[in-house]
Amino acid sequence: MEERKHTSSHYEMELQEIKNGLIYIGALTEKAIQIAMQSLTERNSDLAHKVIKDDDEIDKMDTELEERCIRILALRQPTAIDLRFITTAIKITGHLERIGDMAANIAEKAILLNEEPKLKPYIDLPRMADLVGEMIKNSLDCFIRNDLNMAEEVRRMEQVTDDLNEQIFRELLTFMMEDSKTIHRSLMIMQVSKNLERIADHAKGIADMVTYMVTGECVRHQTCSAEEKEPA
Amino acid sequence: MKRNLFFKILFSYLIIVCLSFFVLDLLIKDEIKKVMTDKIETELLNYAELIDLNPAQRISDQLQQIARISNSRVTLVDAQGRVLADSEKDITTMENHFSRPELQEARLKGKGKSIRFSQTIGVDMLYVAIPTKSQSQITGYVRLARPLHDVQSMIEKVYQSVFLAMMIVAVVALFVALFFSYRLAAPIRALERFTERLRQGHPVGTIFLETSDETEKLADNINYLVEELQTQIRLANEEKSKLMTAFTSMTEGVLILNAEDKIEFINDALSAILSQYGDINGRTLMEAFRDVELQKAFLKFKEKHDTVTEEVTLGSGFEPVILSVSISSVHNYPDEEKAMLVFHDVTRLKKLEKIRVDFVANVTHEIRTPLTAIIGYLETINAGAINNTADTRRFVDISLKQAQRLNRLVEDLLVISKVELGELDFRFEEISLRNALDGVIPLVEAKVKLKNMTIHNKVPENGATIRADRDRLTQILVNILDNAVKYTPENGSVSIENEQKDNYAVLTIMDTGIGIPKEEVQRLGERFYRVDRSRSRDMGGTGLGLSIVKHLMIAHGGKMEIESQLGKGTKVSLFFPL
Repeated sequence: MEERKHTSSHYEMELQEIKNGLIYIGALTEKAIQIAMQSLTERNSDLAHKVIKDDDEIDKMDTELEERCIRILALRQPTAIDLRFITTAIKITGHLERIGDMAANIAEKAILLNEEPKLKPYIDLPRMADLVGEMIKNSLDCFIRNDLNMAEEVRRMEQVTDDLNEQIFRELLTFMMEDSKTIHRSLMIMQVSKNLERIADHAKGIADMVTYMVTGECVRHQTCSAEEKEPA
Repeated sequence: MKRNLFFKILFSYLIIVCLSFFVLDLLIKDEIKKVMTDKIETELLNYAELIDLNPAQRISDQLQQIARISNSRVTLVDAQGRVLADSEKDITTMENHFSRPELQEARLKGKGKSIRFSQTIGVDMLYVAIPTKSQSQITGYVRLARPLHDVQSMIEKVYQSVFLAMMIVAVVALFVALFFSYRLAAPIRALERFTERLRQGHPVGTIFLETSDETEKLADNINYLVEELQTQIRLANEEKSKLMTAFTSMTEGVLILNAEDKIEFINDALSAILSQYGDINGRTLMEAFRDVELQKAFLKFKEKHDTVTEEVTLGSGFEPVILSVSISSVHNYPDEEKAMLVFHDVTRLKKLEKIRVDFVANVTHEIRTPLTAIIGYLETINAGAINNTADTRRFVDISLKQAQRLNRLVEDLLVISKVELGELDFRFEEISLRNALDGVIPLVEAKVKLKNMTIHNKVPENGATIRADRDRLTQILVNILDNAVKYTPENGSVSIENEQKDNYAVLTIMDTGIGIPKEEVQRLGERFYRVDRSRSRDMGGTGLGLSIVKHLMIAHGGKMEIESQLGKGTKVSLFFPL
């Protein structure tokens, strides 16, 4: 799609704008996660408040982009890869908007956690957050470059975040069993971890959509059913 | 081209030849016919006059002979039209000739003629008749007839030669066409080859044609054009290479966006700064950098169409760089607008700014702490404690200590600023390292004994000799040794070694102390920088020790290097030039 050009340069421009808009939202969400995690590790609630406030911008951008996509659908009546591109874009912005919400959720939990004494040094959570940030970046990268290998990489990374989530859960379980006073904090940390894990799911969703966009083949439910077939 | 031109010329020549042939045919044919017929007519009339001179009886007798000489058919007719004699036909079979037009004409005008198609021999016949008279009474007629195939063959003959002439002309025309087309095509072909080479971008020089017609003028114009073009190209190339040199050699990063907002060019400096982003040519800013601030700045520029300057922090997953970016439009493109982004790396500047701000904050803090204590105690004394001798003594003691600390701090600061300004006087002399150490170690001996530590001085008696200022060297060594002892727990050890590396005498002081976190090592030597703020002040430092050492080492032409491992110990290497 990079190389081929439409006869209408204005149409070309509109598609490019959609692309840029998506990356813009992507960058915003990536940053939101980063700052939310920073507010948690540095125990700085001001940063968390900023994330919650900035989520409005993400929501606004999301609706705006969706409207633009619908306008193109109505006015240009795209076909083939352009049609897949627009529909994919609509779906991706939905994913990104949800990611933004989750970053805000993490920020909310960070505010609460910062009010209480530190339970333990955060080690796995920042690692998970880094991984999740990279996944968003990679999923958008594969969208920009139509890179199927990268989409595969994102799907692989999603597995790692699942494992990390599991590991954090087990660790927190020992804390809770040792001292019931830590249960409240542990549960909140668990929620942060769960949110990160779900962000990873969304990133994978984006990667799946890109695969659909490039090949026209739906991989979403294939991977789901493959997972189900595996012995638990 | 030559072929075309040749055929065009030849074709037009042939058309002219054919046309003239046709016109000739149209005009000449009738003329020849008329002239020939007239000539035959006159001849026959002359013969008829001659025949008429003879008496009728002789004519009849010698009819065959006359016919042979005059090369015609001779007929004698009487006044009533009855045929008296004929050279070719039997008169009995011949009808009355009175109504024949030539006879009628002869009767009325004195001579007559007629051209008729003869059924008997199948050709046009010319009949000529004159009346024979006696005493102006028409007594009969002499008629001569001759077939006109002579005329026809004459015409054919003329046509033959005309056709031959035409053929010759056509052949000549072929050669003339060849010649002219060659003459005409040669300069055009030369021009064609010339412009073709020019088009392909070969160096061409100039073209000379001496045809003294339009082509010569054309060649002159082309030469002028080529010269002009090459000047323009050279100028453009010159400009381009100047610009490229400027772009590549400047330390600022330059990025140019084309009319579609895609990256068209980045210079070496920028690709060095942003090497982590890989190949970003042909992408949009958002695709390439995915930075919200940069995109916002760019959108602002698009909106305002005016230069926008912003500060952006780029880089996630690697050491972030702070860049001051100014976006401006590239002119000279009336239809399309390009944008140029100039990036200035201000990471170092920002860092220095932070150090400066930190320094001011630190100085204030370091000065205020002892001052607060002094003022507090003095106020207490003033408020009445002066009467309690024991307390007053204690308070004055503390105040004195704080005042001394303040003094030390100010002295250290003075030293630093003097070293930095180069106002410190150095009296360089040859000093043996061992000698200097022997003078310094006793100064920390007390503390070493207190913590049950050991100092291993492994510098040999005949160790290196360096050029240094004795007092400053002592200051350096005391600072380092003091630190080593200070940050090493009880029962630890400090070892001092000496080696030669490159052109330096290296003095290494290793302790088994608490060590310094890796990320902090590079910030050591900054003024007031403390790894652990709360603890080190308790140990009585001003926070300027290492900073002074660093600057003194630089003043000595050497340097200080610190390696450390958290919990294992620290190794300070002092490099003195030999």
